[in-house]
Amino acid sequence: MATQSVDPAVSRAKFERQVASFRELEADYSRRGWFLACANFPKILVLLAAPQLQPAPLVTGVRFDFTDYDLHPPSVKLVNPFSGEPWSADQLPTRLMRRTEVEAQMMPGMNLPPGFEPAKMVQDQPLIQDYPGEDPFLCIAGVREYHDHPAHSGDAWELHRSSGAGGIIRLLEVIDTYGLRPLTGFNVQLETRITGFSQAEVPA
Amino acid sequence: MADDGKSKGKGKQIDFTVVVNGEPTTVKAHEGERLSAIIPEALRETGNSGQPPENWELRDEDGKLLDGEQLIESFNFPKRVRLFLNLKAGVGG
Repeated sequence: MATQSVDPAVSRAKFERQVASFRELEADYSRRGWFLACANFPKILVLLAAPQLQPAPLVTGVRFDFTDYDLHPPSVKLVNPFSGEPWSADQLPTRLMRRTEVEAQMMPGMNLPPGFEPAKMVQDQPLIQDYPGEDPFLCIAGVREYHDHPAHSGDAWELHRSSGAGGIIRLLEVIDTYGLRPLTGFNVQLETRITGFSQAEVPA
Repeated sequence: MADDGKSKGKGKQIDFTVVVNGEPTTVKAHEGERLSAIIPEALRETGNSGQPPENWELRDEDGKLLDGEQLIESFNFPKRVRLFLNLKAGVGG
């Protein structure tokens, strides 16, 4: 769990600035389905709906924790919008799938002609990652869980701090882009049940 | 010289309010320019120097992603328009 080492007044001032940036354009964000439900330092809870669907569902909450900001980036987790509890991996309403292009892996030692370019492969990658015993988290720069993970030790928060990567608007934009906007409808599962027989006519 | 809102060869001037990572700033551009031309000034005005312009993406008020390579006139913006500029997701997962 994060601890506050920076002067709390500094983190609180930057927290308030984040909240103010949302409140300033709150009407615009509401139209997009973003609702700031709660802002008590160091935490902010934003609820995200999908207004492009009918009826419009409340898909998820996002909990930001600005403890020790901005010495450290905010923690970002998708949470149940009603209970505020982080979704477990099997409950996630979205994993924020993103399509990326990667180069095909070549066999070591292959003799390739000059100028040969490896084929590109398309893969769908979840931006929400989870590991046993941990809550799923948003795995992009600007997020505490990303920078704390040993696999990203070469991509320090200090490289991103001044770019606004840890800002709530920017992070909500990423979550909306990959998790909410792509939704086009509901998956429905129906169960059929035999309730009797159909009959063409009643005989005299 | 009177300003009729047009610059010779560049078309009508559009006043953009660009919200950069939640912070608004004003940028002026002409219809004959590419939309991406407003990005560097918006970043400069809001003190966002940590990432180059190509790492940012522009969206309209509905959240729709806009192609920065298109000319401003192709979007049929009104004289004053608000756009949102945010960092791309980048490497992740």
